[in-house]
Amino acid sequence: MIYKGILNGCSTDIATQAGELNNFISDNLHSEDTVGSTILFYSEKEQRDALIRLVPTESVKLVRITRYQPENILKALTTMEQGEMTHLYLFPSGFAGSEMAVRLAFRMKGSSLVQVKQIEYSGVQLIASKTVYANHVLGTFKLTKKPYCVSLAKGSANDQAINTRDKLIVTEYDMTHLHENQFIKASKAIPRKQASNLTNTRFLLIGGNGMKNKADTQYLKQIADTIGADFGVSRPVAMSGWTSLHRQVGVSGSMTKAAVCIVAGASGAAAFYAGIEKSKFIVAINTDSRAPINKTSDVAIIDDYKAVLDELVKVMREDRPI
Amino acid sequence: MNILVCFIAAPDLDKLIEEDWVIDKDLQIDTSFLKPTLNSYDESAIEIALRLSDASQKTKVSINHKALTIASTPATTILKTLNALRFKQVVRIDSQDDFRFRPGAIAYILSQYVLKHATQDVLFLGRQSTVGENAKTHLLVAERLGWPCITQVSGIEVIDENHLVVTSQVDDGQIRQKIQTPCVLCIGEVPNTFMRVPTIKDRMLYGKRPIEILSTTDFQLPDETEELLDLKVISHERHGIFIEGETPEQKARELYKMYLKERLEKI
Ligand SMILES: Cc1cc2nc3c(=O)[nH]c(=O)nc-3n(C[C@H](O)[C@H](O)[C@H](O)COP(=O)(O)OP(=O)(O)OC[C@H]3O[C@@H](n4cnc5c(N)ncnc54)[C@H](O)[C@@H]3O)c2cc1C
Repeated sequence: MIYKGILNGCSTDIATQAGELNNFISDNLHSEDTVGSTILFYSEKEQRDALIRLVPTESVKLVRITRYQPENILKALTTMEQGEMTHLYLFPSGFAGSEMAVRLAFRMKGSSLVQVKQIEYSGVQLIASKTVYANHVLGTFKLTKKPYCVSLAKGSANDQAINTRDKLIVTEYDMTHLHENQFIKASKAIPRKQASNLTNTRFLLIGGNGMKNKADTQYLKQIADTIGADFGVSRPVAMSGWTSLHRQVGVSGSMTKAAVCIVAGASGAAAFYAGIEKSKFIVAINTDSRAPINKTSDVAIIDDYKAVLDELVKVMREDRPI
Repeated sequence: MNILVCFIAAPDLDKLIEEDWVIDKDLQIDTSFLKPTLNSYDESAIEIALRLSDASQKTKVSINHKALTIASTPATTILKTLNALRFKQVVRIDSQDDFRFRPGAIAYILSQYVLKHATQDVLFLGRQSTVGENAKTHLLVAERLGWPCITQVSGIEVIDENHLVVTSQVDDGQIRQKIQTPCVLCIGEVPNTFMRVPTIKDRMLYGKRPIEILSTTDFQLPDETEELLDLKVISHERHGIFIEGETPEQKARELYKMYLKERLEKI
């Protein structure tokens, strides 16, 4: 099987993209007759060498472009890959990855699946699994038409180091001549002001809809600051605008892996839980003894989160100055 | 400007309890006892279309917004609500097919609707449905129509009959683009865009307007290139030890002493 990983080196999350691909490749594509390479799009010349070091395969096609605009990338990919015998294209989990997987498959008359956790290739078809039913169920799918284009499930990167290779085969392409698609008349990138630090936090306090309003959300954020935890929220809190979207935890937010994660006033819906399931130790504080979060935590307190957390701050203060 | 909002009503899966998650031999999960609801992406898409229509006096661009769903059950309450919210037209494409994991078929129907039944300038679709989580339909519709597509849209302003300014999330921030129609816009996470509630007066006046009903048999469906083989319920159970105590204060102290102190010291 021949596969290619596609990376967007124009985005500042490139290290996460590369980590995801690296991890997925080592978990799923290790049979001897598997040959892989990477196609890396980038725009800044100065970053070229640093980007190459992130490549998870032995050979890489480096494609220089002016800007990562989906219509242009599709044009570049379909032109470059015409007549190639690639069976599988792998895209990272981000927005760009899922978009490219689906559209490339359509243009190359192949099949696609997004947010894929695992694959298996039988020689005639690709079997791939992903979560469905709002993260409650694992679905297994058969992809019948080559090339198979899949994007990876979020949170699949771990800390596994990428093998930096001595003999990397690099082929360079210049596609800076590709013009902006006609439908765009003007564009302005707005870089993220606050990057989410939740993905790598060791101690996390999460507030859910049980907080009920903006003032209580700010109150919980203060508690988090006092006890030295990072602060995350469930989706209804972010959607109500009680705090910024970058604090959202779950399949549509950050995927965390804290050593200690305290969840206050969240029911523990599967789409939320996916964002904390890699935590080492989970504490739930909920007034409802039947809330799903109680069973999916290590320990649970059935009570009002404010009363519990106020006292937790006190006891932590008594024990060590915080 | 003709805007078509495509949505799907689905059961609120958060309402299912553990025992309800039973997969039968046809790979179905019985959710028939749950009320169909809109997921937050579709809610935002509907509300954004309504806000653009509200702003039409200011922009001087009249908005002709339609809402369309492909559904096997009538989901009557939602369709009536959309009527009461004064969508110019509400369309249901009736179908008895199992479309849970067939984004290709849905995209085909939607694109054919636009090409054959009602020309549009802009299509709004939510990012993904709750059940299938396919996250492909908007992209496939765009490909079938040969239109550009912007994903993760969080803001839309109408400039004139043929132009919009669209803000969308990208992997390392946001991008604001002035674009020309036609295009497909996929609505992502947009805070403060809960669907508004119609007034009782509007419910009485407009709620019962007729809904246009078509059938999927009017459309010839393509073969799917992905096929569902199996479904398995995921279990996340942990110890779930309840910390007992007379008061919340007692429980907090127990939590710290028994479970947190040592762990936090290692962080
Ligand atoms: C495609 C899709 C993607 C999604 N992505 C995400 C995601 O990334 N993140 C996410 O969070 N959700 C996501 N969701 C939504 C998810 O399914 C749930 O609706 C959401 O997580 C519920 O949030 P919650 O638990 O905070 O709110 P609720 O379900 O309303 O729960 C509030 C909880 O607070 C408890 N409570 C109330 N008052 C108190 C009090 N004083 N003290 C203690 N407890 C109290 C209640 O008992 C209840 O259990 C997604 C859904 C879909 C369909």
